[in-house]
Amino acid sequence: MRKISWIIATLVFLSATWAIAKDQPKFKSIEVKHFPNAEGVELPPEFSDYLYAELRSTLQKKKLAEQFVGEDEVVDAADASSSVILEGSVLEYKKGSVVKESLIGFGAGARSLKAHVKLTRRSNKEVIVDKEIKVRAMARWDPKTLAKFLANSIAGELKHSD
Amino acid sequence: MQGRRLLCFTLFPVLVVLSAAADEPKPTPDNTISIKLDYEIKPQSFARPVKFFVDRVIDRSANPQPMRVLKERGGVFLDKQPTEIVQQAFQGALEKSSLLAADAASADYVLTVYVFHFGLGSGLGAEYYGKVDLNVVVKDVKSGATHEVTALGTSVQGAAVRKKNILKNIEANISEALELALRNFLRGAKLRDVVSPSDDKPSETPQARLDESNIDNFLCEGRPSYA
Repeated sequence: MRKISWIIATLVFLSATWAIAKDQPKFKSIEVKHFPNAEGVELPPEFSDYLYAELRSTLQKKKLAEQFVGEDEVVDAADASSSVILEGSVLEYKKGSVVKESLIGFGAGARSLKAHVKLTRRSNKEVIVDKEIKVRAMARWDPKTLAKFLANSIAGELKHSD
Repeated sequence: MQGRRLLCFTLFPVLVVLSAAADEPKPTPDNTISIKLDYEIKPQSFARPVKFFVDRVIDRSANPQPMRVLKERGGVFLDKQPTEIVQQAFQGALEKSSLLAADAASADYVLTVYVFHFGLGSGLGAEYYGKVDLNVVVKDVKSGATHEVTALGTSVQGAAVRKKNILKNIEANISEALELALRNFLRGAKLRDVVSPSDDKPSETPQARLDESNIDNFLCEGRPSYA
């Protein structure tokens, strides 16, 4: 009986510790920068601001950092080692085709967007994440849906980064 | 017969204008929101004590109805002009941090704020997102030099279907966007560079670095201690 109660107490303690560790933000602060479009990428003009807003909002919801610093804001030198900068660019955007999507299906004719994402540590410029991410959406959907999907993918990458 | 036709031709545009005017939402206490800053904004610490004065806030949004933030669902309106809201927010934030000067003469820097966007950006479906885009011209009172500092704040609160929730979300969106824009300005690296330009920063070009280090004089004249 005493053994069982000890095991239960240990399990409760471990799960509580795991839950606390899971909820703790990964970084002290994150500065999100606007993603510029590469040459030839034709996206609606308000896309860049929407992606920026969506990225900030998604990272905040996922509790990846204690503070979310605006673009080009100063950060205390003491926090620089645990602060990161998220930057990137939109490399490719395909509008997709509703006709192809209807006739062929299976992802053909889908709207897609490819972005290069880079996460660097503020203090020593160490690159934590350097990756190309591609997201897809239905051709009928608003291009801003891609911003939402991209923000979610980036948040997932950051969550699983070292 | 002709008289009747003429009457019809005259009345038709009037009726069209009247029906369009009937669709236009009007501000009422139920669809009006008030934007105020919920949290105190802590500005960056400057190398020397400085005072700012908010001279003017100018609307550059080219929006014919700046107080209407949403036309659909019976409309959503602001209780004040965006310029007035921005001016109050700037003055409030600077006053709380003891950075506000009483007048332009006693200030170190005079601010002219241009509002490029205040309200909602085009979001996704039922989701609204707040956006405040400002351009602040910072004028050094002593030297008369002016510098432009941009400030942007955005906020996404999520989708809402009920009118009550739409109002709540839009209010939160714009308030947060304004707060972030203000924070972006007060804690921005650009403002720091304007107020306290770093003298110890190395120059961009090699020639400028040579000029700064006075190496030409050294090469021509030699080291005086060894002469």
